[in-house]
Amino acid sequence: MEYFKSSLKSVLGTTPADTQQTGADTVERLVDRLQSSSLLDDRRDACRALKAFSRTYRVEVGAQGMDALRQVLEMDRTDCEIIGLALDTLCNITNPEMFDEEVDKHSSKNKIGEQFTEIFIKHSDSVGLVLAFLEDFDFRVRWPALKLLTHLLANRSKDIQEIILVSPMGVSKLMDLLSDSREVIRNDVLLLLIQLTKGNANIQKIVAFENAFDRIFDVIEQEGNADGGIVVEDCLLLMLNLLRGNVSNQNFFKEGSYIQKLTPMFQIPNEIEDNNFDGWSPQKVSNVHCMVQVVRALVAPSAPAQAVAACQRTMRACGLLQALCDILMASGVPADVLTETINTVAEVIRGNASNQEFLAGVMAPSTPPRPAIVVLLMSMVNEKQPFVLRCSVLYCFQCFLYKNEVGQTQLVQTLLPQGNEAPSLTTGQLLCGGLFSIDSLSNWFSAVALSHALIENISQKEQLLRVLLATNIGKPPVTLMQQCVMLLQQGNKTQCKLGLLILLCRWTSYCPLAVKSFLAIDSSVAYLTALLSSQENNDDLQETLLQSMCALLIGICVHFNDDSVPTYTKEKVCNLIENRIGWEKFQDAIGGIARHEIYSRTLKHPQPSAKNPSELLLDHEFCRLLKSLEGVIIKSVIDANNENRNQLSVMNLPDNTLISQYKDLIREQDIQIQRLNQANNFLTKEKQEFEVQIQELRSAVSHLRDQNLVLRAAQANIGDGKEKNASSNDLDLEKELQTYKTMVADLENRLAEYMHIMQQHNKDKEIKESHLELISQLKLKIDELEKLKKDQEALLELLTDQDSKITLYKERLIELGDKIESDESSGELDTDDQPESSN
Amino acid sequence: MSYAYLFKYIIIGDTGVGKSCLLLQFTDKRFQPVHDLTIGVEFGARMITIDSKQIKLQIWDTAGQEAFRSITRSYYRGAAGALLVYDITRRETFNHLTTWLEDARQHSNSNMVIMLIGNKSDLDSRREVRREEGEAFAREHGLVFMETSAKTAANVEEAFINTAKEIYEKIQEGVFDINNEANGIKIGPQHSPTSPGGLAGTGGQGSAQGGGCC
Repeated sequence: MEYFKSSLKSVLGTTPADTQQTGADTVERLVDRLQSSSLLDDRRDACRALKAFSRTYRVEVGAQGMDALRQVLEMDRTDCEIIGLALDTLCNITNPEMFDEEVDKHSSKNKIGEQFTEIFIKHSDSVGLVLAFLEDFDFRVRWPALKLLTHLLANRSKDIQEIILVSPMGVSKLMDLLSDSREVIRNDVLLLLIQLTKGNANIQKIVAFENAFDRIFDVIEQEGNADGGIVVEDCLLLMLNLLRGNVSNQNFFKEGSYIQKLTPMFQIPNEIEDNNFDGWSPQKVSNVHCMVQVVRALVAPSAPAQAVAACQRTMRACGLLQALCDILMASGVPADVLTETINTVAEVIRGNASNQEFLAGVMAPSTPPRPAIVVLLMSMVNEKQPFVLRCSVLYCFQCFLYKNEVGQTQLVQTLLPQGNEAPSLTTGQLLCGGLFSIDSLSNWFSAVALSHALIENISQKEQLLRVLLATNIGKPPVTLMQQCVMLLQQGNKTQCKLGLLILLCRWTSYCPLAVKSFLAIDSSVAYLTALLSSQENNDDLQETLLQSMCALLIGICVHFNDDSVPTYTKEKVCNLIENRIGWEKFQDAIGGIARHEIYSRTLKHPQPSAKNPSELLLDHEFCRLLKSLEGVIIKSVIDANNENRNQLSVMNLPDNTLISQYKDLIREQDIQIQRLNQANNFLTKEKQEFEVQIQELRSAVSHLRDQNLVLRAAQANIGDGKEKNASSNDLDLEKELQTYKTMVADLENRLAEYMHIMQQHNKDKEIKESHLELISQLKLKIDELEKLKKDQEALLELLTDQDSKITLYKERLIELGDKIESDESSGELDTDDQPESSN
Repeated sequence: MSYAYLFKYIIIGDTGVGKSCLLLQFTDKRFQPVHDLTIGVEFGARMITIDSKQIKLQIWDTAGQEAFRSITRSYYRGAAGALLVYDITRRETFNHLTTWLEDARQHSNSNMVIMLIGNKSDLDSRREVRREEGEAFAREHGLVFMETSAKTAANVEEAFINTAKEIYEKIQEGVFDINNEANGIKIGPQHSPTSPGGLAGTGGQGSAQGGGCC
């Protein structure tokens, strides 16, 4: 003990030369003491000293003491003090930050904290131990345990996430801490949860399941909503983590009516001018930023359309959209908050007719009152406004027009000549003004905005062709398209040209009438071909995009050409491509955009992604148009080209044969179609029939099932007792009885039948038997007969023998001459009698 | 949108017994013959009426695969009701019920109402587990039993609603502490927590969020 104290003194003393050596030694001794001392007090002292060393001699304490500290966590868990000290020490050695007093500064790049974290979590149950200490209410234990987890998570976030996810009730234990009355713990667990939920959908869902949204809204309310401090921001960040990209949690959020709870947070009291106007504190700006991010997470264009639509509906219904629009129109809102709010409104209304209508109806509190959309567009074409704000207005306007035929029509309508010259500023006028302003960014914004009025709307494409512009006094008015083409040729600002080309491509695609108008304009095609055939500046991004768009526009003029402009029929434009540009160059140019990073970036999200004005070149919907048309256009151009060649090379092949071939083909196909139609009709009929049959069968089955049930019940009742029968189930029983009776009768009939059969069978058998007996008797008799016959023969032989003897004797007698007659007569009698008796 | 009570459910059971289809049939009234494997847990909700009271059911449909077992365990604690599902055409899913039940009992609060569901009753020709066996298992373990078909929707409503009725009765009897949200029950925003009676509340943690528009 004496030695320890002296060494401690020397460490804390002022002899820097020796400290390192002494420090390492001392740590070794302390660790030894911590491990081997049997007295809790000693261990506690050692632990306290280690904690004191763990900042300055972090490497030593970590390298030597890790196991000992772990051992403390396991063995001494009943003593809050030593546990707290051990956890604090572990906190220090795993700290992701560097300490100023640390001796071993050279290893700052080695991430000591991370390495020790790795060592610590090698034991599979280490994190489990720390999680268990969270359940201890004692502040000395709970808080350092929480801090240690935070450090571990900061160092090895993926590993710790997985460990916590699979440890029983791991997430739940952390969630419980959100209700801790000690604010420091609640706030720290908020920070921990933000880290924990990052990028792990499973944890996000469990946290949400553990009533996170309720807890978060409670804390936000306690802390003063949008005006609250950084804790509110932390809460919102956690909420954002739980919602962003997690469809299940978004659904839960919507179903749990939490969207409604967002509304009051956005209801920012109107700034009263004379009340001392301190504007927005930086914290409030941060809070509102997070709040709108939460809203946007629910209606992100990348989320499933059905879920987004449901959230959008709720947001309008619960007044959230109104509150957002109020912020748009409020004064004194910082530009970045305004920008994000505009982006949020954009996504809340995107593709939702009622919400779009709602925004169309919002009026700005200006004199005279103007529609909010007009006020927004005024900012978009005003070069004094911040770039990001102008971008957000474009996005909002695009979302307003997205799948909104009414909005599209209304916009084009404002450009068409009307009876009464409306003095008020309209969206169409603003866009035209922007289109022809000297600010190239305004040109781009306006052209792109206008192009969105034409998406999937051919009638507006045709309506827009009617738009006339009055240029200089005394000159005839020009069409909007003429003006666009003229601007395209005259201007020298690429951004403006790209905007115009985006508009023209959208305008002419799928609309032969617009193609016709475009081709009819003087020098329109000539300009495009000239631009495409120029070789200069191939590496320049803007130049590539320009060429690419020109190629697309020419391609559209081929693909959607109805041959109504004699100078530029499909064939002629194709020839032009071949002769003036060349096929390869054309194909190369049209695919040129897709090779650029800006194309894939723009294609990813509908919101303009440019950071500064010069980057704003492509539009999301345009990229989609290009993507869908690129293939068909190249094919169409190549086909037309091949046709030309075929016609040139196979001129001698008479057209008639070709036509007749096609006719035959068509006829064949017609027949086939008819046959298929018939087959289809037949099959559908059959299907219907089958369905009817199935239904009949089903009803029959269910009927039978019911009967079966009734019978079973009846049977059971019979079993229960006869007395009950009479009262309730008489009818059933009678029925049943009858069935049984018929069954019995049936059975009796059958039995009689069988008896009859049996009797017959028996008779047959008897006859057979007697027959057999007779046969055997017959045999016996026959045998007897044979025997008798034999006897008879023997007797006959004997007789003849005796006859001959008699005659012999007679002769002898005659010779002797003595009494013949008497003997003769008796002998004759004998021979007559004998055969008769034998028969 | 307002409700008197909110109950949290979980659906558990072997993979492929039709848990997600049961949920889909209940929330969307449709059947999807080919359903992707559930990853982790998915959420669904619906409003029902019991005793002329609006009750919101929040249902977490869990993945049946063994790999997700440790994740899905986290959902037991906060649930008021569980549908334990097996497939009547696959005996092994019935044989695993004991494991599921042990798991549920171990991790959930003791009052959780468990409903045993023999699903796919439309496939009677391929039946491997007799109805009586399911009944016997339920009786033995004190569960409510029902055979359902997520395909024909037979008994699906009843399964969810009967579970809710059971929970509702337990609330009426005062078995559940409805102020403790860990039980998976929440009182609707406009209903004061004192009305159902018999609650020496532990200080409203969750019930204090009145107001707002719903």
